[in-house]
Amino acid sequence: MSLLHATWLPVVPRGSFAKGKAPSAGLFIWADTWRVADPVVPDAEAPFHPLSLNLDDLATWLDENNFWSEDLRQASVTLTLPSRQQLSRGQKSSAGDAWSGLPLQAGEPLPKDLTWWPWQLEGWFLKPGPAAEWLNQLPLSGTAAAGLGDDLLWWCHLQRWCLSLIARGRWLPDAAEGKASWLPLLNREDDRRRLEDLATRMPQVVAASSADTHLACGRPRSNRLLVASIVEKLVDGQLRAAFAPGGPGLDPLLAAWQEGLASHDGKLQLDEEDQERLAIASHHWRETVAGKVAPARACLELFTPPEGEELWELRFGLQAEADPSLRVPAGIVWGAGDGNLALGEIQLEQPGALLLEGLGRALLAFEPIERGLDAATPEAMQLTPAEAFVLVRTAASRLRDVGVGVVLPASLSGGLASRLGLAITAELPEKSRGFTLGETLEWRWEFMIGGVTLNLRDLEKLAAKRSPLVQHKGAWIELRPLDLKNAEKFCAAEPPFSLDDALRITGNEGETLQRLPVHAFTAGPRLQAVLEQYHQQKAPDPLPAPPGFAGQLRPYQERGLGWLAFLHRFDQGACLADDMGLGKTIQLLAFLQHLKAEEELKRPVLLVAPTSVLTNWKREAAAFTPELVVNEHYGPRRPNSPEAIKKALKGVDLVLTTYGLLQRDSELLEAIDWQGVVIDEAQAIKNHNAKQSMAARDLGRPGRGSKSGPRFRIALTGTPVENRVSELWALMDFLNPKVLGDEPFFRQRYRLPIERYGDMSSLRDLKGRVSPFILRRLKTDKSIISDLPEKVELSEWVGLAPEQKKLYNKTVEESLDAIARAPLGQKHGQVLALLTRLKQICNHPALALKQDPDLSDAGFFKEFAARSAKVQRLEEILEEVIEAGDRALLFTQFAEWGHLLKAHLEQKWRQEVPFLYGNTSKTERQAMVDRFQDDPRGPQLFLLSLKAGGVGLNLTRASHVFHIDRWWNPAVENQATDRAYRIGQQNRVMVHKFITSGSVEERIDRMIKEKSKLAEDIVGSGEDWLGGMDVRQLKDLVTLSED
Amino acid sequence: MTITPGNANGITTQLGDQGLGQQPWWVEQWMELINGYRFKKRLERAWEYARSGNVLSIRFEGRRVHARVQGSGEDPYKVKLWLDVLSDDDWGYVLEALGQKARWSAQLLAGVMPQDIERAFAASGRRLFPFKLQEVRSECTCPDKINPCKHVSAVYYLMGERFSEDPFVLFQLRGRTRAQLLSDLAVKRRALLAKKAKEAKEAAPADALPQPAAEGSLNPAPAAIRDPNRWWNYGAALDPGLVVITPAMEGDTGLDEAGPLPLAEDGRFPEAGKLFVEQLKAHGATCGTAAMATAMAAGSNNGEGDAGRSAQA
Repeated sequence: MSLLHATWLPVVPRGSFAKGKAPSAGLFIWADTWRVADPVVPDAEAPFHPLSLNLDDLATWLDENNFWSEDLRQASVTLTLPSRQQLSRGQKSSAGDAWSGLPLQAGEPLPKDLTWWPWQLEGWFLKPGPAAEWLNQLPLSGTAAAGLGDDLLWWCHLQRWCLSLIARGRWLPDAAEGKASWLPLLNREDDRRRLEDLATRMPQVVAASSADTHLACGRPRSNRLLVASIVEKLVDGQLRAAFAPGGPGLDPLLAAWQEGLASHDGKLQLDEEDQERLAIASHHWRETVAGKVAPARACLELFTPPEGEELWELRFGLQAEADPSLRVPAGIVWGAGDGNLALGEIQLEQPGALLLEGLGRALLAFEPIERGLDAATPEAMQLTPAEAFVLVRTAASRLRDVGVGVVLPASLSGGLASRLGLAITAELPEKSRGFTLGETLEWRWEFMIGGVTLNLRDLEKLAAKRSPLVQHKGAWIELRPLDLKNAEKFCAAEPPFSLDDALRITGNEGETLQRLPVHAFTAGPRLQAVLEQYHQQKAPDPLPAPPGFAGQLRPYQERGLGWLAFLHRFDQGACLADDMGLGKTIQLLAFLQHLKAEEELKRPVLLVAPTSVLTNWKREAAAFTPELVVNEHYGPRRPNSPEAIKKALKGVDLVLTTYGLLQRDSELLEAIDWQGVVIDEAQAIKNHNAKQSMAARDLGRPGRGSKSGPRFRIALTGTPVENRVSELWALMDFLNPKVLGDEPFFRQRYRLPIERYGDMSSLRDLKGRVSPFILRRLKTDKSIISDLPEKVELSEWVGLAPEQKKLYNKTVEESLDAIARAPLGQKHGQVLALLTRLKQICNHPALALKQDPDLSDAGFFKEFAARSAKVQRLEEILEEVIEAGDRALLFTQFAEWGHLLKAHLEQKWRQEVPFLYGNTSKTERQAMVDRFQDDPRGPQLFLLSLKAGGVGLNLTRASHVFHIDRWWNPAVENQATDRAYRIGQQNRVMVHKFITSGSVEERIDRMIKEKSKLAEDIVGSGEDWLGGMDVRQLKDLVTLSED
Repeated sequence: MTITPGNANGITTQLGDQGLGQQPWWVEQWMELINGYRFKKRLERAWEYARSGNVLSIRFEGRRVHARVQGSGEDPYKVKLWLDVLSDDDWGYVLEALGQKARWSAQLLAGVMPQDIERAFAASGRRLFPFKLQEVRSECTCPDKINPCKHVSAVYYLMGERFSEDPFVLFQLRGRTRAQLLSDLAVKRRALLAKKAKEAKEAAPADALPQPAAEGSLNPAPAAIRDPNRWWNYGAALDPGLVVITPAMEGDTGLDEAGPLPLAEDGRFPEAGKLFVEQLKAHGATCGTAAMATAMAAGSNNGEGDAGRSAQA
């Protein structure tokens, strides 16, 4: 897969325009891709980038992704890129050799001997105006779009800033060096910070144009200046494009200026004298509004008066733009004399002039400073209380906007903390266990401003002083006109304080109580314990495996069980979203067994799951919680009337059903007084309008029937739900409606800002709201990894789809007869053929029926998954693997199956799935393996035939291994597994073994597990024993058992 | 918006739409100088001249002002104006005085003409501004024997506005350009600071003072050079302030903030400067609205597409 990049070109590239046209800066768009390439030995000219996409392919890619623009022009440029030294083939290392190597790609691990080297690239070029337009259409929420490098997100953010500058009119026309331009003003505090942010975070590929970054000379330009110049060009391009000059009433000078502001090259059609005049006037016009872009600025620091005195002190100094906490006092600035001054990593040239210019600018925004500048090298001055107030209240922001830093004492530094708010102390009442949300807490409160607490009487006294800045408990605070009134109002209201309030206030920043912000909250020890668990700041108290649970819980599973029980006590719905393979099933079963052991499980619990995992649930329940009475509401013989189902569920603890039936039998299921509803693979209800989502939500709430008791709600999923904003609402609507408000509110408040614009503060707020109800642990978490063995084997139990079942039974029936009648010599072969065919049926009917569809046969592939329960389950698990960005090996013993599956998976995920099997040539094999291991954006799935791919290869980039069908010999399977699980593997390896329940696959699995005599025979002597089996033995082995 | 001599306030200029009080002080001072002139009649005629666009060009060249004024003849008359230049010694005194007050340097660096600048010149016994119009030397190629002739007087009028384009042109007429002045001031300041630094060094232990920077390391290497992982990666969230793009507050655009364009007008095109700014403002408003619409629609292609897909699923 290729990845798109964008690099800024300060001058026009070669070959992009016909001769005679004026050069201009612009955006160069190019892409790299993975391919096998020999290391390059550079010549006098920069070598051609061997891993870049050529012009036509890039154009096709842009077109396919709707990123094509008619303004794109061909270009060829030289970029300096990080490169890896690598000896070309056959070359022996010796000191005298010339450098040879390859350019690095994004995401590639960095080699130790990293060098920067110029490479020649082909790509497409856009002038600033069209470049801005082109950037506007890229997705803002970033990584969502495949094939776009991270640097493009930076470009999008930069362009969004440009839009903001234009929307706010932050520009002035300029006329310097004979050219007219629209010059953005970057002096405002917010804009300075943005410039700083974008400059420090700029991916350097943006500046990789060698004309600009003379990396070889070791003196790259400052990013700040570069970013500022890019913004200048982009803003200019956008304002220029739509400008119609020639307004009425202008004199020739101004008319020429307007013409210049509209023309593509900006040239001023004026004689030198008038150009000069315009340049001086426009510069003078601008300089009182905005200064130059510099690494540091003048800064004024206000200090409160010493005890018993009236006058405030204002000290002068310099402050780094990149880090406002980095400051030097004026004394040191003057002391640096003629030399440079170090400010952190920055070296300031002529710091004295910089400070003076800033002070000159400060004078424009805050006149009293004039008094302080009478000396030759002033360091500080004194302010009257009234002046100090003006500074705090209004001048500070004006000063910041003209580019002068202001540092105020902490208690006055603005923001919420300096406003009237509350400091609260609360604790659970003595008898409470803290399990009821509405319950009232014991609490005390005080008012708080700027970090100091005060009561109503203090406030009255301070207000009586009629001074906006007052001193209280040693700190200076600012009183606002309405403060006293609001405080009186709050006192009169005497609001109660509930556990609910405590959870809300501790869950989000900036929460309020009766419209007053809560500045401080102190919880008593018992309340604190409840809050910490609720907010998952502390791991939930672990709960050991309950009595009657046949199995062991790993430590993190005990914590998961404790968490489920904790939220259950609160009557809150819980979503257990652990990574695949961490045992969500086991934790849920343990939870049910816990209820059973505590004698709290009095009514049946409904578990809804995709059809493909019902079998798995049944198996796991039987194995781990034999005490639970499990019933399946599934299949043609399921009860079909309320009476029948009530009767059938008598004494039943757990009822398993599917999403399909949840919808179809909703009336029937609603008739039951469930104790709880569990939805497995909860992403199934991601769409809140879908019928099954609504059915699940209805079932999650106690029915209209008055007798119904409370009903717990649990959702299980392996996908990172908290990142899927659009799906979160439906999930929370099932678990805990009201937490996220109604759907239109949710859409406006969270979904649009986050999905469209990638708004992080909304996302943080959203996560804060839902995080108490979602527990997600990853295999890679430090606390989990120590609990997990390095290789985790998982049995994936699947059933058979109707077509499979029919075919299986028919095959067994016909073959057994034939084998019984066959002569002894042919029997062996026939038995083998039968077993092979049955295994193929378990994979997919099409395999057994030797269907060989055309790849374009859309109908065939549309039905493909529905015909096999195994494929359905495989897809579900692979979905999680792909979503997590993991990589997987898929082994099968049937080459034809590999081809079918490859075609299906490639269509489903629209990514290449290589298939390595017996006929793959040696070079192809190596290429597949190299690509899987090394390409930063290589395929995530790799199909291999057990025989061809089971030995020798090193595929440690995979952290999942799938055995789609079973082989008799566990050693062969283990050997295949070891392709991933070997030296070099950094992660835990999940090994998924598919077993079709009731079928020959299950018998094989059991034999392997029990290490039975039969299995040893198999391992010891190949498949010879098969021929010796009598028909009864064979029948036991192959007949489909119903359970 | 026209220059009208002899009204209650004396003379205003085109820029004086808001009244004389809105003028930069040095323009005011220049106008006062003209108003103080005895031969009012002559000035009135010159005003007519200036207003009808007879002054073809005014050019500041070194220490002189060159102008071309269309008279009754075929070829325009050439007018030259100049002030007495300060000697190097005098400038030395002025610089000395300017260095005494940080504010003067601060304002000059920030592009502001200090209102009390004459006090620095007083140190040398000289002035920046001419005290009376007679101090402004002039020559004209016209046959008129009287100086100032009406051509010279017409140039006087327009000079005031040219001062508002660049107040530092006054320094130029006295023998120093702004750049020269600033660099001379910097030299003075450095000498002063070096002396101060030396004193401080003697007074304080060496390690308490910042170390002078090494040569050539003015720009630190970008992080990506030190951490090549940063070459490709960005990984930052959109600035919360850019999620919703907002328009300018009333009267808060760059054009509003910068105020009237300090460009002397051609008498034949009254209000040209104002019109120019208004036309640009209108363009800015259109572009601003368009930018907000673009920002609002950003990501909607992809976002809505996804929503559509999942709705079908």
